[in-house]
Amino acid sequence: MSGQGGQDAKFFQRGKIQEFRAELHAAESKDKKFQKRKIVLKKIVANITMGNDMSALFTDVVNCLAIPSLEIKKMVYLFLVSYGRAKADQIHLVIPSFLQDCSDRNPLIRALAIRTMSYIPIPVVLESLTDQLRHCLKDRDPYVRKTAAICVAKLYTADPRKAERGGFVEMLRDLMLDTNATVVSNAVAALSEIGDRQDGVIFKLNLTVANKLLAALPESSEWGQIYILDSLLRYVPEKHEDAELMAERVIVQLQHANSAVVLTTIKILLYLMNYMENRRLIDYICKKMGPPLVTLLSSGPEVQYVALRNILLIIQRRPSVLKNDVKVFFCKYNDPIYVKLAKLEIMYRLAREENAREVLAELQEYASEVDVDFVRKAVRSIGRLAIKVQPAADSCIQALLNLVETKVSYVVQEAVIVIKDIFRRYPGKYEGIIPTLCEHLDVLDEPESKAAMIWIVGQFANRIDNADDLMDDLTYNFLDEPTEVQLALLTAAVKLFIFKAQSDTSKALVHKVLKWATEEVDNPDLRDRGFIYWRLLAINPAVAGEVVLAEKPAITTDADRMDRGALDQLLLHTGTLGSIYHKNPETFIRNATGKALADSPALNAFSRQVIVPITRNNLPPSAINIPGPGPPGPRKPEPAAPIDTAALPPRPPPTSGSSSVLIDTSGTSEHETTEDGDGEAEDEFAPTPTASADPYENLDNAFGGYLADEPRPQMNDLLFRAF
Amino acid sequence: MAIDGLIILDATGRPIIQSGFRSSTAAYPLLHIDALNHAIAKSPRPDDVDPVLYVSGASTEGSSACCHVKYGELRFLSPVSGDVDPLYAFAFLQTFVDILHEYFGSISADTLKDNFDVVYQLLEETLDAGGHPLTTSPNALRDIVLPPSLLTKVLSVAGVSGLASPSANSHPFASPIPWRKAGVRYNNNEIYFDVVEALEAIVNKNGTPAVSTVWGRVDCNCKLSGTPDLLLTLSNSHNLNDASFHPCVRLQRWGRDRTLSFVPPDGHFKLMEYRYAPASTTSQHQVSVPFALRVATMNIDENGGTFDLALTSRLTTRPLENVYIDLFLGEGASGASCVVSHNASWNFDPKSLNLHWGIKSLPPSSTFSLRGSFTSSMKTPRPARAFRIRFEIIQHSFSALKIEQLKLTGEMYKPYKGMRGKSTGDVEWRW
Repeated sequence: MSGQGGQDAKFFQRGKIQEFRAELHAAESKDKKFQKRKIVLKKIVANITMGNDMSALFTDVVNCLAIPSLEIKKMVYLFLVSYGRAKADQIHLVIPSFLQDCSDRNPLIRALAIRTMSYIPIPVVLESLTDQLRHCLKDRDPYVRKTAAICVAKLYTADPRKAERGGFVEMLRDLMLDTNATVVSNAVAALSEIGDRQDGVIFKLNLTVANKLLAALPESSEWGQIYILDSLLRYVPEKHEDAELMAERVIVQLQHANSAVVLTTIKILLYLMNYMENRRLIDYICKKMGPPLVTLLSSGPEVQYVALRNILLIIQRRPSVLKNDVKVFFCKYNDPIYVKLAKLEIMYRLAREENAREVLAELQEYASEVDVDFVRKAVRSIGRLAIKVQPAADSCIQALLNLVETKVSYVVQEAVIVIKDIFRRYPGKYEGIIPTLCEHLDVLDEPESKAAMIWIVGQFANRIDNADDLMDDLTYNFLDEPTEVQLALLTAAVKLFIFKAQSDTSKALVHKVLKWATEEVDNPDLRDRGFIYWRLLAINPAVAGEVVLAEKPAITTDADRMDRGALDQLLLHTGTLGSIYHKNPETFIRNATGKALADSPALNAFSRQVIVPITRNNLPPSAINIPGPGPPGPRKPEPAAPIDTAALPPRPPPTSGSSSVLIDTSGTSEHETTEDGDGEAEDEFAPTPTASADPYENLDNAFGGYLADEPRPQMNDLLFRAF
Repeated sequence: MAIDGLIILDATGRPIIQSGFRSSTAAYPLLHIDALNHAIAKSPRPDDVDPVLYVSGASTEGSSACCHVKYGELRFLSPVSGDVDPLYAFAFLQTFVDILHEYFGSISADTLKDNFDVVYQLLEETLDAGGHPLTTSPNALRDIVLPPSLLTKVLSVAGVSGLASPSANSHPFASPIPWRKAGVRYNNNEIYFDVVEALEAIVNKNGTPAVSTVWGRVDCNCKLSGTPDLLLTLSNSHNLNDASFHPCVRLQRWGRDRTLSFVPPDGHFKLMEYRYAPASTTSQHQVSVPFALRVATMNIDENGGTFDLALTSRLTTRPLENVYIDLFLGEGASGASCVVSHNASWNFDPKSLNLHWGIKSLPPSSTFSLRGSFTSSMKTPRPARAFRIRFEIIQHSFSALKIEQLKLTGEMYKPYKGMRGKSTGDVEWRW
């Protein structure tokens, strides 16, 4: 293009409209090979890209369109794309040139012309575009046809009804059977774009077309493959064999060099597996999916991050994938923090009795690192590991005690928080370590850890000799403490009194605390609870004891697992933003349509039971969830509220395929009982009986209650907030 | 399934070049640039910024996400507003970076500015305004966008330009194979394979690897005429666990008998990538680390510490080259003084707070040592729990992958073929 390659930086200087105009006119004379005008145009384009408004030059630039030079045409078109919309009153000047270029001999120019026209959504342009587009969709040159296909989507965006009336959707459908793979994939891309619009026509595939698309797969470009693979989600298999056959054809794409192709392939395989019956094939596919996922981890941290967030979803639905690969997720010192946290979560999910030792050793290593955030999560993970894998609990406790000995403030605090949960999980087993914990009371300065420690002191007041002294110290600043701590103190004081009713200290203490709570504190929750305790104690201390020391439901780790129906739905978005933020896209992306598993005779019974219907046009209110410290008792009785809150009934123990809790839907009888059609031994979790219509709700529960209107990576999935 | 566009920022966070955001307001790209710059400024370590940044939209627009990667001093951004695969954005960004690399050699703010018209043409051809990637195969691109070097050469020789030059040919995409140019001619038909393997490992205190993986890659430089159809047989291919391939490779064939059958693109391309895990050597499928680091002392005292290290090569025939050992000395580290054996070098980087020990070449079975102390303004310094050790081994591959045979069909000539191996390593050694 330029004779002085490498010198173009000089074009990046601000120029004035008048100067350019004059230059352009001057360049017209003796312009051999149009070199002069080319240089002026280049300066203008450079100015456009710097954000300077060049629209005043419209007529001058448009005049250059007649010059028979591809380069100049490209620049003029670039100019038109930038200012065409703003110059609607003058655009008619260009239409003749457009029409002429649409029938140019050179396919590049034909394509360029319709492409440019489709970017200028003005009625008069669209009017001439529709005719030209009809020809171009049947052009003999594939480059023109593939460009035209995408232009249809643009036309549809500008004027859906016009595109439908013009029969363009049908023409696109015909293009899906084109001989050229790129044309096919672009037609699919255009149809998908139209189908994803809330006001768009529904785009579904039948078996014949789906197979035709698959045939075009090997010759398509990588981007085309992604479009085609993604469109397969619009095909609903009616028979198990159809799904199985298709999976076998798709599976080779797992070896593609492009990571996006790989992840899209995985999404399709996961989808198709819902419609399969052949156990052996499902196992085979699961086995095949592992290595490519691991390979993604050799890429840059950005790709790793996306891969990790997806792996986290995939292993919850198909735990046999990567079952033996926990080592791959060990964190490196130099990993960016977002990669580390994502890996940590996966390590926890993959931890089993067989690998618990290795995982614990790693977690201990992380707990000695420098990054505070990461260290905290590591400590927390040790606690979760103890709760999840019983045989590892002893060594986890030992590890936590060693960490407490480090006296590093935030390490101790995290350790105390998780130890409290371990006490709940294994009652009567580890209370011997309480004295060690009590030695570190002074270090605790964060509300959560303080509340946890206070809970421990209150709950086990009968085993701690100096419990009343400790409580006396702890209540010293009662009125200055945050509500979370005040609530803990209040309950602990009552517990202490019930255990040590004889002790004068405890009597005085409970009196003092109740008085503060009811008379000096403004928080209604605290005051109300104060009154309740007071009355209980006044009327019948024994009943009070039964209430505050009631048997608590056991802590399990399934509360932090996602509901199966929601998971199935999220996996349809594998690789997309939804899977990064673990939210369904229609809840945070405007105009996104939801996806849901479609029912068919081939859908496995278990998936059918937990189908979450799409909630179209039903955005959640953008109200902000104020994380105020509510009373622990009447917290929202959500089915999967992290745990505890004595108000909740004990959850049924999770057994695989525990058919008793399943909802019986009429369709299931034709399939083998209520057990998962996949016969998935790996489906360790029972579905929440209240498969709610709002998939969102479940997610919030599973992921620790993020604000509904602001999706963001969920890092602190590890929370057990118990009172 | 389309990204919204592409923005390239310079080292200071200012945009150099961006694609036309035609279906959104002018404020949209700016919103993303600001969001990213803000996030970087806020983050203690710039590399820790979320790669899929959530950008809450202005009142008129919905929210969106900003996918970004760093490449040298530049940052490449791709805003996405639909429910799009972020990997799709990252894959496109990577492809675009590769294309720029192919066109300009090195990529910097200056090269991009100097060749902005070429970059623009590339953007126009690779990404349509709706965010759909178009032509990204370098072979096809070279037909429609002239690389600057070729351009200057052609112009200076022929003194012509524009449509007349052989480049802007009127038959773009004439080749039936999208990744290969039609009508390629060479006097000498040659093809070179570079096997590059990278060991990544984490080694525990006791010297046993917690994880060790070898990632391998076969780069290819193809200078063959016509439309050659190649059949490449590798030795030890059973050791390659999971391989991924350039689109030119026939996957079915690999699945059947582990041979690579393909019509190569012209010029440089990445033929395959793989992970190597030996099947037999150890029960744990681990590759052994070719050196040992002995941490004789590592004492942390008040406001400083002392250390005594010895690095021994476990290789018996080849030297380890360009060995770099780094240790982050913790916040507040203020200086170090060390004694190194042989002609190794050391220094302390006050900016990154890293202690750096460099060994040009570590002969087989030899031991180098470093002894010294560091000071810190912190009362109890907290250095990193691990050393980072990087190295290279020339003419070596962990997997012992070799080309057994290269058969060519479809053309009459006999190509010259060459193959080289090189290994690198990036090991984290805990103490």
